[in-house]
Amino acid sequence: MDKDLRLGVFLCDCGGTLSKATDFSAIKAKLQKFSDVTYVSISHDLCLKKAQKAMQKDIKDNGINRVVVAACSPELHEKDFMNVIKAAGVNSHLLSMANIREQCFWAHPDKDKATKKAMAQIGMAINRARFLEPVEQAQISVNRDVLVIGGGITGIQAAIELSNLNLKTTLIEKEATLGGKLNQFANLYPVQVTPEELLATKLKQVAERQDIDVLTSAELVDVSGEVGNFAARIKRGNEESVRNCGAIIFATGYNTEFSSQICGFELSNNIITQSQLEGKLKASSEVKQIPESVCLITNISNEHSQVSLLSALRNALGIKEKFGGEVCVLCQNLKVDGAGLEKLYRDCRNKGVLFIKFDNSPRISEQDGKVKIEVEDVLVSGEQLTLLCNLLVVEETSVPPLDSQTLSSTLSVGLDAQGFYQEKNIHLYPTASNREGIFFAGNCHADLDLMQALTEASNVALSAYQLLAQEKMTVEAEKVMIDPDKCRFCLTCIRACPHHAIREAGVNHEKMVAQIVDLACQGCGICAAVCPAKAIKPKDWSDDQILAEFELLGEYV
Amino acid sequence: MIVAERKPLEDIKEMIAGYKKILLVGCGTCVTICWAGGEKEVAVLSSQLKLASKKDGNELVILEDTIERQCEKELVEVLKDKVQQVDAVLSLACGVGVQTIAEMFPDTPAYPALNTTFMGMPEGEGIWVETCRACGDCFLDRTGGVCPIVRCAKGLLNGPCGGTNNGKCEVDPEKDCAWTLIYRRLEQQGRLDAMRKYYPPRNFQAVIRPGKVEALQA
Amino acid sequence: MKAQGAFLPDIVAFCCAQSAYQAADAAGSMGITYPENIRVIRVPCAGRVDVLHILRAFEKGADGVLVLGCHEEACRHLSGNIRAKNRVQRVNTLLQEVGIDGERVEMFTLAPNQGPRFARIVNEVNERIKELGPSPVKSRA
Repeated sequence: MDKDLRLGVFLCDCGGTLSKATDFSAIKAKLQKFSDVTYVSISHDLCLKKAQKAMQKDIKDNGINRVVVAACSPELHEKDFMNVIKAAGVNSHLLSMANIREQCFWAHPDKDKATKKAMAQIGMAINRARFLEPVEQAQISVNRDVLVIGGGITGIQAAIELSNLNLKTTLIEKEATLGGKLNQFANLYPVQVTPEELLATKLKQVAERQDIDVLTSAELVDVSGEVGNFAARIKRGNEESVRNCGAIIFATGYNTEFSSQICGFELSNNIITQSQLEGKLKASSEVKQIPESVCLITNISNEHSQVSLLSALRNALGIKEKFGGEVCVLCQNLKVDGAGLEKLYRDCRNKGVLFIKFDNSPRISEQDGKVKIEVEDVLVSGEQLTLLCNLLVVEETSVPPLDSQTLSSTLSVGLDAQGFYQEKNIHLYPTASNREGIFFAGNCHADLDLMQALTEASNVALSAYQLLAQEKMTVEAEKVMIDPDKCRFCLTCIRACPHHAIREAGVNHEKMVAQIVDLACQGCGICAAVCPAKAIKPKDWSDDQILAEFELLGEYV
Repeated sequence: MIVAERKPLEDIKEMIAGYKKILLVGCGTCVTICWAGGEKEVAVLSSQLKLASKKDGNELVILEDTIERQCEKELVEVLKDKVQQVDAVLSLACGVGVQTIAEMFPDTPAYPALNTTFMGMPEGEGIWVETCRACGDCFLDRTGGVCPIVRCAKGLLNGPCGGTNNGKCEVDPEKDCAWTLIYRRLEQQGRLDAMRKYYPPRNFQAVIRPGKVEALQA
Repeated sequence: MKAQGAFLPDIVAFCCAQSAYQAADAAGSMGITYPENIRVIRVPCAGRVDVLHILRAFEKGADGVLVLGCHEEACRHLSGNIRAKNRVQRVNTLLQEVGIDGERVEMFTLAPNQGPRFARIVNEVNERIKELGPSPVKSRA
C-alpha cells in the first residue's frame, strides 16, 4: 500500500434527488475524519462536463492521487470518470466507485438504513482505493495481415472487403478452385445473377487486387501465437509454409448430408438429393429424360433449416423454368421469416408450384418406374393423397465441414452441439470466437442465406480492421500480471485461460514461466483464482483490493 | 512429480491442539503443482485454522511462509527466525519436506498437513494419477513405456492374465488392462519381440530401503 | 453497530459485472427493494472469486456469502461460472470442516436484466441466514 495516499472523494447527489434521502454534508463530515482523505466534495451532476472540469481542478489543486466517486452505477460512467482523471494527471485505473444510487438509495426506501449502507459502500470504495494500482498503456507491434480460411463466397467477399480496408489477405482453399457452394448451386435467390456470373465477378475483383494472395489446394495445419502475432502453418501438397498474420477468419462453410434414417427411405434413380438436382439443373441440356412431374420434400424432421428451405424453393422455381411440367413441394412447415423468403414462396405459387403440408411423414415407394408418395393433406382436403411423380427431390441436412473437429482442437476454438463453430455470444458477438483475433463468418457457424453470409463477410473484415488498423496497437500493459519469481510453471493458468491468452515464455534464459499476452487477455481473472502459487495479480481486481472491500463488514463508519 | 493430498482438518487440529503459535510452511515445487501445499493452500488452511480457533474459543497465532522446496537444508534454514517464534511447525510439503524441517529444527515439533500419496502426472485438470512405484529396477524399456507394477492390478511382469477383457481389467473393470496397453504400444513401434522374451523373476529388493544413492563428485 | 434484538446478517455478494451487478442495478432502477444488509462486491467474472476470498469474508464476520454469475453457457469467459460453482461447493466443505454448517455460501446465476430475480435471491438468502443465525465465528466489538 502506497504510504503517500491522498484520496479525493467526490459525492454526487444526482441532480439533488439523493439529497432528499440523506444529508450529504453529514457524510462529508464523517469522511473528512480519515487521515488519508485529502478532499471531499459534493456535486449535483458529476456526469456533466462542467462538474467534471471542476473535479479535474480539485484533483490538481489538492494533489489528489486516488479518486473515489460515490454516485450512480459504474456501469454508466466509469469509463468517463477514468478519462476525466487521466486528463487531470492521475492514472485512469486509480479510480474506485461506490454505487450509492442504483444499489442503495433507489433500492432501500428506509432513509436511515440506506444512509448507513451508503456510508459502508463509500468506506468499501475508499478501502479499495488504498490498494489500487496504476496500469500503463503500451504499444504492441502487430502483424497487419489477415488469414482467411475458406474460398467460398463468404471467404472471397471477406478478402475483398479486407483489401478495401488496405489489409493484405492470404485466402486458403482446400479444393483446387475457389467458389465453394457457388460451384454447386444452379441458381441464387434473391439476386438475379447466376452463381457462375456472381463467382466470375468476384474472382475478377480478387485477381485485380495485389493484396489478396490465393492459395488453392491448401490446408491449415496449425496456428501458434496470439492475436496480432499468429503464425499459421499451411500445407499444399507436400510443401509446408508459414504465414504470419494478426487475425484469422474462418469461412469454411458447410457440407450437406442425406440421412436415410431421418427420411425413412433410400436414394435411387428417381429419388435424388437437392445437390444432385442442382447438378441436373446446371446441365439441363444433357438431361436425357425431362421429368414431367417433380416433387420436392422438405422439413421432414421439422427442424427448420433456412439453407434447406431455400434450396427447396429456389430449385422448385428452377425446375419449373428449366423443365416445366408439374412441380409439387411437400413440407411439414414453411418458415418464411428470412428476408425475401415470403416473396420466393409466392413466386413459386404464382408460377404454379403446388404446396402440400403434412403432419406425418409421407410414405415413399416406387411403382412402375415412378415414385409413389402417400401423404395426408392436412391443410386443404384432409384426405389421404397418392401422388405419382417421375422425380422426388429430398432435402439434405447441413453438417459441419469435415475438418472442423481437428481445427477446433488445434486452434482451441469451440464447437457447438452440432459441431459447427461456436460464436462467443450469439446476440452480442455473433462473429467472434472465444479467442481474440479469430472470427467466424458464414455457414461454418450459422444457418445463413447468401445476403446474410455477405453481411458477415463485411462484419468480420471490419472486426479484423478494428484490431489491425494501426501498425501498433495500444494495450493496457500487464493489466493482469504474472510474477515470474513466484510462477512454478505448473501450467494450470495456461490450461485454464478460456481465451488462450497465456503463453509459455523463457525468462533470462533460465526459467520457464507463464506469460500473459496483453492483447488477448480479457481481464476475467480466472487465472488469478486458479494459480496455486498466488503468482498472478489482476491489477484492477487484485486480492488486496477485493479483501479490502470487506474489511468493514459489520461496521458502519 | 510427487503427488499429495491435504489431510482432513480434524486430523490437523488434533496434531496442533494446545499450541498457541504455529508456522505454516508451504512448498513451491511438487505440492504447488498438484494444488495441495503451495502458497494458496497455505493461505486456505491458515484461514480454516483461524476460523476453527475462533469458533472453539482458542487463541492461535499463525505465521505463514512458502519456500522454493522443503527438501533442501539450505532452503529450509532460511525459516530459522520464524521457527524460533513458534511452538510448532505445520508443513504442507511431502514427507521428505516435513522430515527435513524436523531435522533442521529438532527443538520444534514438525507436523505433516499432507498425506504423500504417490509419484505421478496429471491426467486432466485437477486429476493426478500414479505412474511410477520407484522400484529401483526400471524395465520400461521392454514394456513400451507403460509400467505394469503400477498399472496392472496384479503387478504381472510377463504378459496379461487370463482375465483380460477387451482391454479392461478383470479385477477393476474401470481400469485399462496394462498389458493390453503395453501390447498396443509395442505393436505400434514394431517391438513385439520384447513381449516374446521370457524375463526371470525380478529382484524386488533392487533398492534396499531406506534407499541411498551416491553419485560421484561432479 | 451491535445487533440488538433482531439479527441482521452480514451478507457479502460477489456480483459478476457481466450479469449480476447489472441485475442489481436493474432492481434499483425498477424500484424493487431488498434488504440493506448486503454488501455487493463487483468482480469481472464469477470465476475471479477465489475460495480464499470467501473464507476471509467469514473471518471478517460474514454470516453468508453469495456468488452471483451468468447463467450456464452464457459466461463470456466460457468457464468462469462453472468454476465458481465448483469453488462454492469446495468452500462449503471447508467451512463444514471448521464447524460452520448450513451451506452459508451459495451460488446463483442470472441475466443482466433480471432485477426482480436479484431482489428475490437476496430476500430469500437473507431469510435463510437469519434462520441459521449468526456465523459461529462472528465476533462483534
